[in-house]
Amino acid sequence: MSLLSQRREVGEFRKRYKWMALAVSIVFGIVVIRMMQLQLLDRDHYGEVARENITRTIGLPATRGIVRDTHGHVIATNRPSYDVFLTPARLAEGDVETLSTLMGLDAEGRRSLTERLAAVPERRHNHQIRFFTDITREQLAAIQTHSTDLTHTEGRREVTAVEVVATPVRTYPYRALGSHAIGYLNELRGDELAELRPAGYRLGDRIGRTGIERAWENLLRGRRGSRRILVDADLARSERGDEQPDVIEPVPGRDISLTLDMDLMRIVERAMRGHPSGAVAVVDVRTGAVRALLSKPSYELDAFTAGLSREEYATLRDDPFRPLIDKSIYDAFFPGSVFKPFSAIAGLEDHLIDPHERVRCNGSYRFGGRDFPCNVRSGHGEVDMRQAMMQSCNVYFYSLAERVGLDRIARVAQDFGLGRRTGIGINTESPGFIPTRSWYDAHDIAWRGGFALNTAIGQGDTKVTIIQMAMAYAALANGGTLYVPQIVERISAPDGTVIEELEPRVRRRVHVSRENLAFLIDSFSGVVNDPLGTAYAVRIADGVPIAGKTGTAQVYQRARLSEEDAARAEYRNRAHAWFAGFAPVEDPEVAIIVMIEHGGSGGRYAAPVAIQILQEYLGPTYTPRPRDTGDADADRPRSRAGRGH
Amino acid sequence: MVTIGKGLRDQFDWPLFVTVASIAVIGVTNLYSATSANPDELGQLYIQQIYWLTIGAGVAVLVAAIDYRHYERFAWFAYGAGIVLLLLVFLLAPEVRGSQRWIYIGGFSLQPSELAKPILIVALAKHLHNDPKTEGRTLQDLVVPALILIGPMSLILLQPDLGTALLCAFIFASIMVLTNLKKRSLFTLVMAFVLAAPIIYVVGLERYQRGRIDTWWSMVIGEEIDVSGDAWQVYQSMVAIGSGGTWGKGFMQGTQNQHRFVPDTHSDFPIAVWAEEQGFVGMLLLLGLYVFLILWSLRIASTAKDRFGAVTAVGVAAFFFWHSVINIGMVCALLPVVGVTLPLFSYGGSSVLTSMICVGLLMNVSIRRFSY
Repeated sequence: MSLLSQRREVGEFRKRYKWMALAVSIVFGIVVIRMMQLQLLDRDHYGEVARENITRTIGLPATRGIVRDTHGHVIATNRPSYDVFLTPARLAEGDVETLSTLMGLDAEGRRSLTERLAAVPERRHNHQIRFFTDITREQLAAIQTHSTDLTHTEGRREVTAVEVVATPVRTYPYRALGSHAIGYLNELRGDELAELRPAGYRLGDRIGRTGIERAWENLLRGRRGSRRILVDADLARSERGDEQPDVIEPVPGRDISLTLDMDLMRIVERAMRGHPSGAVAVVDVRTGAVRALLSKPSYELDAFTAGLSREEYATLRDDPFRPLIDKSIYDAFFPGSVFKPFSAIAGLEDHLIDPHERVRCNGSYRFGGRDFPCNVRSGHGEVDMRQAMMQSCNVYFYSLAERVGLDRIARVAQDFGLGRRTGIGINTESPGFIPTRSWYDAHDIAWRGGFALNTAIGQGDTKVTIIQMAMAYAALANGGTLYVPQIVERISAPDGTVIEELEPRVRRRVHVSRENLAFLIDSFSGVVNDPLGTAYAVRIADGVPIAGKTGTAQVYQRARLSEEDAARAEYRNRAHAWFAGFAPVEDPEVAIIVMIEHGGSGGRYAAPVAIQILQEYLGPTYTPRPRDTGDADADRPRSRAGRGH
Repeated sequence: MVTIGKGLRDQFDWPLFVTVASIAVIGVTNLYSATSANPDELGQLYIQQIYWLTIGAGVAVLVAAIDYRHYERFAWFAYGAGIVLLLLVFLLAPEVRGSQRWIYIGGFSLQPSELAKPILIVALAKHLHNDPKTEGRTLQDLVVPALILIGPMSLILLQPDLGTALLCAFIFASIMVLTNLKKRSLFTLVMAFVLAAPIIYVVGLERYQRGRIDTWWSMVIGEEIDVSGDAWQVYQSMVAIGSGGTWGKGFMQGTQNQHRFVPDTHSDFPIAVWAEEQGFVGMLLLLGLYVFLILWSLRIASTAKDRFGAVTAVGVAAFFFWHSVINIGMVCALLPVVGVTLPLFSYGGSSVLTSMICVGLLMNVSIRRFSY
């Protein structure tokens, strides 16, 4: 091949080099444009992704505040739950076996562990996954003692697939006592999270659902802290964390002291033992402080906080005694005869009734072509107001209602806070209902005089809550001061420093003349202490002098459902048994309401419960007031004022 | 061997040397950073890379020193040796992740499919050298070169190593573009490829390979992709590149790299580390070096004194071009992920040796452009 021809042939290629160079330049031009797009236009986006890639924020949970009663007894506190986390990717040969042995798992437990491990998807193998919750002390001790058996050397670091993490869980030492008022926590649902995230809640957080736990959630929960750490792609904590990770310390929640007296609560629970369903309230008449608030039946708070199974919850929900309902606040009941004092005041204050005037009771009252029955078929004969109160004569109050009228009665009842929310601030409060003539008009219900008669004896459309009635009787006992029921008395820091003492709050001063009140209190005293009184039979002689009023509230006859068995229907149609009162008579300290749902006669069933409670609560420290001093309030030392502090 | 001595020193191709040396030095530095994220397993790789580069430099000097006309003479012999090596793979190579690629000789592992590339280039150069036809070529004229390609390529496909086989095909195509192919023949070839592509996609590809292409296509058309799945590597690579910004995060400061978000930074994705730590400016520098290397190769081809030298230089240009474009393209999601290394930059003994042989060939053609 000649040199000349070779040069020519190379020259034949030459035309194409330029096209090749152009093609190379264009292709690399495209690459440069791509780089500009990534590195110049989108650099902020990718920079952010890269930063988020390597940082993880670990929430540092805040300790929830402790709830105490008025004596400092712990009602709600926190204990550590030891949870076992496994990182499947780090499990070495034999680890599962070692762990099973340390945990003391039986064959079934081992199989379940193996199955759950196998079920973890590949992409989560580097995650710490919770496998056991709240292990026992023995299991914890075993794992901690033998932790070296579960640690392996990988490269230059020590790794373990098994970690035990302590997380605080809420616990309630009094178990089921006062559950409705205290309340429980449970885990946030996914749909709530979106709404609550701005307030600092995170997935897995628990939130107060009822009672104090819910109402005081914001103070109790504190503020979660956080720690930002650097991580590698496998989400293991990075070893090259040269930047100081930011730590925001958690702020523990506030401690709360309640006005509740758990010793009294125990007394109440004991006194109510024979009755499946009902509610009791005991309030300090001098401050409105709630000393006891109980709804029966109750439930274990720890069980709720741990999380109920579907079946457990269904059992509670379908229980005919309605354990999930707070009967002291949420539900309203016919008050029956415990309402009569307010009808009496309506007559007395407007001077429409002379309390000494007698009314003849033949066992029923004819009005508007209907017979309104008395509580005693045979009638009480001629009774004045005191006797009518003591014996709970309906006929007397029918006649009173006819003269006084519905609206006067309703106004007095409302002045005493009946038919209105008390503002106790926990749980959902029912307003109850006190009917007025304008209400019937507004609802196009043809007015009948009988409405007033029924209302006067606490029937008809009248409904009140236990806490309302307690505050109203406290007002009767203290001379007419209607308080807002107070359930929280102090807020303090975890170290015990008092942050705020909450003061009693007066809702209203109800105007009732001294003599009328004195007359009523004398009548109430007669209910318990006069042989004619409805509670005389169950009084405790020589105990704390108690004044009160019994009530037997008829419930409307329900149509008997065919599938409902007779016993249940019989129960449901039984009257509510009430006792409302206060003690000691001459210088009242506490007012009490006992309501036994479908309990029957108030005098026979509710009164002994109330009397037992008051006796046990006040009896040990009660000293009778000297008889000879007439009105010695001013110089008598309030020996028991400090009770409960 | 005639021109070794004073003449050769005068003709030494400094621009080529400086470009290659720059890429290699940058590559080792980058490798140091890339492997520092995983010191337990990869900590010493940059030192091994230096060894390979040193050996490679020796091989390059050797390849450059022997007048390439001797290669022309022994081209078929080299081609035969290459085929034998590729056959040996099936006898000696253990199966790694479903394919047989490496044969172990002493302490070294060798990837014959890598060496097949320069051998293919030389063989094609030999064929075209002996077939100095200037008029338009028909498909019939392509039969012999096609057979030259199909020999090693079919063996590589059997390993299987689709990426390398594809590269061989691209290098072959690039060289054939140099010749005066008839328009009709060219059209037929393009149509055949267009028709074959979907069939290859369905029949010829493994599931994971189709997955990579599908992921890439989703990214191209802007669909939402699950970045924790198939797209993880490419997505994190893009994050690394993008977060580098204009000036980069600094040497050893790339968080995507240091916190191990980009897998395979030493082999297939070193460019992600470079882009993250040196930014757009660093990328311009590196891309500039590769463009210069390729254009310089074409220049060497254009000044080569004979067909053999010209075709060899163009083949080497094609080798660098396709390797760098496919690698960089896949790292920034312009192309689907194929296991193609960045020559002189990625870690790998065979890859370094092959690149260095190619550099040696270039140097050889360049030095001898004026010698007759």
